[in-house]
Amino acid sequence: MTDFEGLLRTLNDGGVEFILIGGVAAAAHGAARATYDLDILYSRSPANLDRLAAALTPLDPYLRGAVAGLPFRWDAGTLTHGLNFTLTTSLGDLDLMGEVTHGGTYERLLPDTEAVTLFGAAYRVLSLGRLIEVKRAAGRPKDLEAIAELEAIRDEWASGQA
Amino acid sequence: MIARVGAPWLMYSGAVDERAASAAGEPLAPDPVIEAFKKDVDRTLIRENLKLTPEERIRKLQSVVAFLEEVRRAGRSRR
Repeated sequence: MTDFEGLLRTLNDGGVEFILIGGVAAAAHGAARATYDLDILYSRSPANLDRLAAALTPLDPYLRGAVAGLPFRWDAGTLTHGLNFTLTTSLGDLDLMGEVTHGGTYERLLPDTEAVTLFGAAYRVLSLGRLIEVKRAAGRPKDLEAIAELEAIRDEWASGQA
Repeated sequence: MIARVGAPWLMYSGAVDERAASAAGEPLAPDPVIEAFKKDVDRTLIRENLKLTPEERIRKLQSVVAFLEEVRRAGRSRR
């Protein structure tokens, strides 16, 4: 089972620059749907790649769904040569996104985030409106119910019910 | 509209226009497919969640995931 708090603390303690996206971001906004992994959009700056690699090393990251024993090396070089990684770690499943649909990098989406305090630290969470846009732009049928729920949350705010 | 249900790698057809609108900073028009899904959203759950702090929502998510994991484990052990 993914330890959301543990993963967030690990990334925060390691000084990693990232934005919470995906199901956990949706939950932070009030969504009731369960999600089983943590999705983050991370900065691709060389210094941040070093921090990300160092922070996750103790968690033994490995490619999720890959057969055991592949020569997968977890370091900043691997991060540099890749972009999006779906990982298993000792604290659960973690998706690292260097970019989301339509060129959404950390730097581009940072202005569309909100500071949210979780477990005693401040995290950047993609705004509700931007989360809806990103999911709609991705166009994945599996996201349709999640988008509907996010739009319902937005409607609740707009109607003053929240 | 969904291009072809059952082919999860395909985008639903509204997505391309939405990318352009999103890039231009324009508000997205309502999507009829999403509007249809919205009718089935349980708003009572949302309203309860919106009474919580973000941290409380994440803790609740964690407990739901733990519960579902336990149910799965129980199901596997019965087989």
